[in-house]
Order: sequence, then C-alpha cells, then structure tokens
Amino acid sequence: MDELWSGYLLPGGIIVAQILALLVPLLVIVAFLTLFERKVMAAMQLRLGPNVVGPFGILQPFADALKMIFKETIIPTGANKVIFLAAPMLTFILAMIAWAVIPVGAGLVIANINVGVLYLFAISSLGVYGIVMAGWSSNSRYPFLAALRSASQMVSYEVSMGFIIISVLLCVGSLNLSKIVEAQRTVWFALPLFPMFIIFFISTLAETNRHPFDLPEAESELVAGYQVEYSSMSFGLFMLGEYANMILMCGMTTVLFLGGWLAPYPLPTPVWMGPFWFALKVTLLLFVFIWVRATLPRYRYDQLMRLGWKVFLPFSLAWLVLTAAVLVYFDLAPKTVM
Amino acid sequence: MIVQALAFYLFAAVTVAAGFMVIAARNPVHSVLFLILAFFNAAGLFVLLGAEFLAMILVIVYVGAVAVLFLFVVMMLDINFAELREGFLNYLPIGLVIGGILLVELFLVLGAWAIAPEAAKFASTPTPPVEQIANTHAIGQVLYTKYMFAFQVSGLILLVAMIGAIVLTLRVREGVRKQRISVQVSRTREEAVALRKVEPRQGV
Amino acid sequence: MIADIALALPEIFLAVAAMVLLVFGVYAGEKSTRFVATAAIVALAAAIVLVLGRQAATGFGGMFVVDAFGSFAKILILVGTGLAIAMSLGYLRDQGIERFEFPVLLMLSTIGMMIMVSAGDLIALYLGLELQSLAIYVCAAFKRDSTRSTEAGLKYFVLGALSSGMLLYGASLVYGFAGTTSFAGLAQVLQGGGTPIGVLVGLVFIAAGIAFKCSAAPFHMWTPDVYEGAPTPVTSFMAAAPKVAAIALFMRVFLVPFGGMVEEWRQIIVVIAVLSMVLGAFAAIGQSNIKRLMAYSSIGHVGYALIGLAAANQEGVRGVLIYLAIYLAMNVGTFGVILCMRRATGYSEEISDLAGLARTRPGLAAAMAVFMFSLAGVPPLAGFFGKFYVFMAAVNAGLYVLAVIGVVTSVVGAYYYLRIVKLMYFDAPAEPFAANTDRGVGVVTVAAGLFTLFFFVYPAPIVAGAQIAARALLP
Repeated sequence: MDELWSGYLLPGGIIVAQILALLVPLLVIVAFLTLFERKVMAAMQLRLGPNVVGPFGILQPFADALKMIFKETIIPTGANKVIFLAAPMLTFILAMIAWAVIPVGAGLVIANINVGVLYLFAISSLGVYGIVMAGWSSNSRYPFLAALRSASQMVSYEVSMGFIIISVLLCVGSLNLSKIVEAQRTVWFALPLFPMFIIFFISTLAETNRHPFDLPEAESELVAGYQVEYSSMSFGLFMLGEYANMILMCGMTTVLFLGGWLAPYPLPTPVWMGPFWFALKVTLLLFVFIWVRATLPRYRYDQLMRLGWKVFLPFSLAWLVLTAAVLVYFDLAPKTVM
Repeated sequence: MIVQALAFYLFAAVTVAAGFMVIAARNPVHSVLFLILAFFNAAGLFVLLGAEFLAMILVIVYVGAVAVLFLFVVMMLDINFAELREGFLNYLPIGLVIGGILLVELFLVLGAWAIAPEAAKFASTPTPPVEQIANTHAIGQVLYTKYMFAFQVSGLILLVAMIGAIVLTLRVREGVRKQRISVQVSRTREEAVALRKVEPRQGV
Repeated sequence: MIADIALALPEIFLAVAAMVLLVFGVYAGEKSTRFVATAAIVALAAAIVLVLGRQAATGFGGMFVVDAFGSFAKILILVGTGLAIAMSLGYLRDQGIERFEFPVLLMLSTIGMMIMVSAGDLIALYLGLELQSLAIYVCAAFKRDSTRSTEAGLKYFVLGALSSGMLLYGASLVYGFAGTTSFAGLAQVLQGGGTPIGVLVGLVFIAAGIAFKCSAAPFHMWTPDVYEGAPTPVTSFMAAAPKVAAIALFMRVFLVPFGGMVEEWRQIIVVIAVLSMVLGAFAAIGQSNIKRLMAYSSIGHVGYALIGLAAANQEGVRGVLIYLAIYLAMNVGTFGVILCMRRATGYSEEISDLAGLARTRPGLAAAMAVFMFSLAGVPPLAGFFGKFYVFMAAVNAGLYVLAVIGVVTSVVGAYYYLRIVKLMYFDAPAEPFAANTDRGVGVVTVAAGLFTLFFFVYPAPIVAGAQIAARALLP
C-alpha cells in the first residue's frame, strides 16, 4: 500500500496538479485573448469594441462561452460522424499538450525533455490534421477547399521553420528548451539572428492560419472555410484550439528568440518573476499578431506559396549555412553538449 | 516498471490494430488516418526504448509531412475502391499460398536460429551507452563521420527523385500571365503616373 | 577524411559536374541540351582519367572499395554512358523531348553504378543500386506524353521497388544473422563454414534483387516491356552500362563476402544462368519488334555472363569482364543501327522493316550484320571470344553441363540473329530509311563495329586488364 502511494499515486497526483496549474490559467488567458483581440482591433479602427457585458465588456468571453455551450450541435447528414467530431477535439488537444514542454520560468516546466524543440515542432506540424479532417469529413465544398489549402500551406512553411530552428540549435548545442533559454543569458537570439526571428514570426502566422495567411478560413471567399459546418461547442473547440495555438506559437518564439523567462536586464531576478517576464513577452507578440490582422490584407494563394518556397526557404537555408560558418570560423560553437 | 509495461502493451496493441485497419478499412481516407495512428504509436514505442530523437523525427517527417501529402492525394482521388477490390477474392488463394510459404520459411529460419559465432565482435556498439550520452548527440556523431558516405549518397538519391518529379510533371504553359515582382517593384513613378491637365468637357 | 575524398574523387567529380550542369541547364533553358550533353561526355571522359589514377584502397569506414576490378567495371560503365549520351541527341530532338535533364540523369545514374561496383558494404550496395535505378525509372518514362513510355517507366518502377524490397529483406536477414553489413566483416564471419541458415535465406533474397536489376530469368519479366516502351536511347543505355554494373556487383557480392559459401550459392547461379540462356534463346524467336528482340537477347547474354560467376574462380571473373566489355560494344552498336531506322514518318522498330536493307543502305546493313554475327558468337568476331573465355572457365571449373547448355543455347540463339541477316540481304527491300543526319550515332556505330570486327587482332589490352581486375577481386 505504501509503495502504491509513494510509487504511483503521489507522482501521478503531482503531475495532474502541475497540468491543472498550467492549463486552467491557460484556458482563462485564451478566453481573454479573444476579448483582447476585439478590443485592440476596435481601438485601431476607432471603435469601442465589446463594452456591454460587465465593466468594459470584461465578461464578454464568458457570455460567448455560455452561448456556445447551450447551442445545439449539428452534424450534417453526409458528414463522416466520427472524424467530424474528432477533428475539433484533435485541434484542441494538440494545442494543449504542446504546453507540456514550454518552460514558463526557471525549472517551471512539466516535462523537461531532451528533445523539447523537436517535440514542439512535431506537435505544431500535426495541427494541420484537425483542419484537414474537418474539411474532409464535412462533406462540403468550402471546407474541403480549406483543407487542401491548409495542408499545402502548413507543409510549405514548416520547411523554413525547421531550418530556422536548426540555426538556433546550432548556437545552443542542445534541443532542451530550458537550455535554449539559459543560452540566451548573454544575448537574446533575436539580435544575432534577427532575420531568422522575423521569418520565424511570419511563419508562425502561417502555421496558425492567422492573417495575412488565413486562407483556410478566408471569410470573404470560403465563408470561414473548414469551420462552415461546425456549430456549438465543436466550433468552440476549434476557436479555443486556434487561440491556444497562437499563444503557443508566441511562447515558442519567446523561448527561441526572446530569452524565455529571462529578464531584459542582466541582474539576478527571483524565480517567481520568470513567468511574469515570459507572459509579458508573449503578450507583446500576441499584440503584434492582432496588429498584423488589423493592418494587412490577405495574401493571394500563389503569393503565399511564393513567399514560403522562393523567399523564406532559400533565405533561411543560406542563413543557416552562414550561421554554421560563423560559429565554426570564430570558434563560437557550443562545446558542451547534452 | 508496471507503467512502462502498460504503456508498451498499449502502444504495441494500438500499432498492430491500426496497422491491420490500414489494409482492412473500406474508405482509403480512413486507411491513411489509421496509418497515422500507427506511426504515432510507433513513435511512442521509440520513446519507451529511450530513442526520443527517432520518435520525434518519425512524427515530424512521417506524420507531419509525408502522411499529410498522402492524405492530400487520397482525399482528391476519385476512385471507386469497391471496384478495385473486386478481384480480391480471385487473388486471395494465391496470396494466401505465398504468405503461407513465407511464414513456413520464417519458422524454419527461426527454428534453426544460429547467429554466426564471430558476429559478437561486430555487434559491439559504436557509441557509448544511453546513460552517458543523449541519443540525438550519438546519432549525430556517427551520421556525419562513420556513415558520411551513405548520408551523401542518400542526398544524391533525393536529388534524382526531385529532378525526376520535375522532369515528368512540369509543364510550362503558354499564355499564362505571371506576377513578376521584380518588374513591379522596379517601376518608377515617372513611367507609371502622368499628370494631365484635363479641361472640362474635353476628356483625356 | 581527405584520403577518403581522394579515393572517391571520380564519383565526387561526376556528382559536382552533374549538379553544375543541372544549374546551368535550368538557367540556360531547353536550348542548352546539346551543350549539356557534350559537357557531360567530357566529364565522363575526365572521370575515366580520374578512375585510372586511383590506387587500390578502402575508404569511408569500409563502405567504398577501390581496386582494379572496380576500376575496370567503372571504365566500362563510363564508356557505356558516354556512348549512350552521344547517340541520344538526334532521337531526343526528333521526338521533341530534347531536355537538358536527360544527360544529367544519366550522369547521376552512372554515379550510382560506380558506387555499386565499389560497394564495400550492404548499405553502400543498396544506395548505389537505388541511385542507379531511380534515375533510369525516370529516363524510361522520359517521353511522358507517350503512353508506352510512361507505362514502361511505371512498370519498371513498381517492379524495381519490389525487387529493392527483396534485396533489403535479404540484407537485413544477413545483417541479423551475421552481425555486420560490411563485406570484409561478412567474409571474416562466413569463412569458417557452418553458415547460419538465416544468412543463406538472406543471400537468396539478395540474389533475387540483383538478378532483377540485371534482368536474369526468372526475374526478367519487366525487360521486354520496358525495353520496348522506353525511348530507344534510354533502352540502349539500359542494355549496356547498368548490366555491366549489376553483373559486376553480382560478382563482388558473391565472391567477396560470400566467397566462403560457394558450394551453397553456386546452384542458385547455375539455375539462374541456365534459365536465362534458355529463355533468351527461345523467347526471342517469335519477336517482331527489334527492341523486344534485343531485350530477350540481353537476358540470354546475362545468362552467359553468369556462367563465369558460377565458375567462381579467377578465370571466370576474367571471362565475365571480357564478356561485359565485348557485350557493351556489340549492344551499343546494335542500338546505333536501330536508331538509324528512321523514315520521314518517324522511327521504326519492326524487324520486317529491315528487309532488303543491304540494297538500300549497304553500309548500315553491313554494320548490323557484323553485330548480329557477333551477338550470335560467330568467330572471329568479338562475341565469339566473350563466350569462349566464359565457357573455358566453366569447363576448367568442372561445370561441363553448364558449358554444354551454353553452347546449345548459343546455337538456338544464332537462329534469330542470322534471320535478321538473311532478312537484310536476301529479302525484297522494304521502304528505305532516311539518311542518318546525326553524327553521334554514326561515329558510335562505326566505332563499335570496328571494335567488334577487329577485336581478335589485338585483344591484349582488354584481356590483360580483365586479368588484373580478376586478380584484384580473387587473389
């Protein structure tokens, strides 16, 4: 009995507690991100935005959630039921499980695994399945087009993202996310790898199907694309997944380029300040996400492909070679591995 | 240990079941999705083996890229798969015979299992044990030194595949208006805009 | 590492040249094909010089072996590819498929073949084989608007993938039971006798895979269809250099790592050789398409070459190498003639179209007659000597039955070769062919004809070279 407690129940309970401690705030943040987006966009367009529910409309997300939950789930007759319902769940689950490896502070990470970057990259490359499955199983034209667009778009931008991640790894010598953050104590990688930082950020826009690359859900041509046939909470899960993905991608950018939980000044900071700095940097990036949405028109599909394959891919490849060359020539490559 | 064992049996069972469903599913899209499930569980097995790098690469390459394109193609195929399966029963006996022969051969081989006595000295691991070195690092160490030749030749094979795909499919279509960004960008104000004084009721 | 790179210099040089030409072609456009082809031939010639300058050694952790045997085969391969490229331009232009990728693909395929004959490891073997075949699959489907060409490419691809699968399965069995993939290691493990049965099963699968690549019966099914469907220059390439590479690989794999198991694998090779010879002789009789005929002819010739492997001694290896050199010349020459079978309406592939060729085009007919007599093995032409050395090796190794079957099938095979000669010289002329305007085809055909005709005058360089090569493989 004692063994059962100390060997299984206790560690299991700790893990569950950790997961809850991460996911509950995350979901609340996701909810408020929708409000944040509407408020910021409104401010940029000289409107007020939601201001009715609660003071300054602060309870708007909860009103939205209530509405969504109490609506009827409609499954189209021709739809492939299992896949149709599995698709939003998949999107949501993937957006959640990726958080397992993101360090929000020194030592504040659920799973500090050796191949953290690869894990993140793998999970983010799976995001396409939610959309493709939704598009196919809806048995409808618009969602299907969205699925096709999304599949080719994500595959295209993943390639250059991979190269960018490699050029960061070259500077660190480890795939562990905490080590990547620690390696940025002297300088955040956004400075020496500035072009990579920009390309990576743009690629994350494409990976999350956000403006100006939101072709899979382009309202004006595909009437919201893969989400057309969804309603109620299955639609809600897509929304939650999309916004959680945005935060995740900003978190990834923060870890890789903006020094993660490190403070912007070179003084010792208490551990509890880590999540604060991390959240601040993520919020800044999220603001840029929204800013881009409010500013830029949507790309045409061939332009999107051109940008991915003919601009980003050669450039990131060339920069990767340059990074490796500089590191070797000036003997800056990290010596200690693991 | 119990958790590991449970995880192993879970992953293994799902892998086998999904693998079976790949060939048994009626709908080709379902087949591909089961294939993805099988890949995923195989990655889980790799993790249990302590080969986390291979697990992640399996997910990134096979699930994240190859299977997406697979799904992409299968979704767009307009083939009546019931029709394709029509001859299935005709070929079943011969398939079973071949499969049976292979199975018997396998048993024969296993029955006479005798690894060459000198093999032991070749089986010595070229890399330090798992506890001393991360397997990403271990793979890197041999991939670019000991197996450099194989690595480079693989690159050449991929190059040939790429050339082949382009040679066999690229068609330069006539009469297509293409966006030439360099031309657009290098246009000056002088050649694009002209200031005209337009008199009333005269037109340009 | 530098020493390793120096060792593989011919391959690296060719690879770099191929990539440079590819980039050049992309920027220069379709008009550059002729230049790219010429440059490719120059590069292949330069590679021959580099091959000649290599010292025997082993590099890349035992994966890459340079020795006289490999160099001999490499020179044959490079010559074969060069001649194939030289002959291809006119045809490609006439068919509207003159694309700069063609010589580049052939060069890459050649690199694959050179890796095959230099393989010192099962991994290198497989990679070389794949590089070689993948490029040829593409070339077979090169005339992509023609159904037959695409069919040829697809058929070759699917069956080739199957055979690669068998080869890999065999290789993994061998690795599992012997504990190593390196040839030197395998030779060491297997020399003591008491072969594990798993290695033997693996060896059978490896044999099947390689037999497929050199189109030996019973793994020949793809050959006639692919030879017929592929564009003629591709067929002429497929029938020459890859055959040399596959048979050389056969010898290296079976004689070096599995040399201790001769008694076990000899029966496999004997069966394959007999089946190939018999099939090549009898199935060719009913053919009306000259490319199909050449396909069956090549199956038969692989059978003859494998006799030398079955002998499993230095003399046998020498015989096979001489055979391959002569076969290369005869085959390239024959395809040169086939490429001249052109009328205003297009290329012809029917044997009946050759009727009365002696009256309309006496020179072409004479060349074809030389090649046909040589393929049939009529002395004193080169083909006779090829067979002679191989059969002698078999007799000296005590394989009398095999030698007798070889002689008998040669006689049967002579029937259909000589039928073509009869058709050309004694039948009423068919509609005459257009004059040959392509210099490449003319030069190659004449050169191959002269080699075939006058080989007996001065055979020493090839025989001596083969002798050195054989000694390097089987000391």
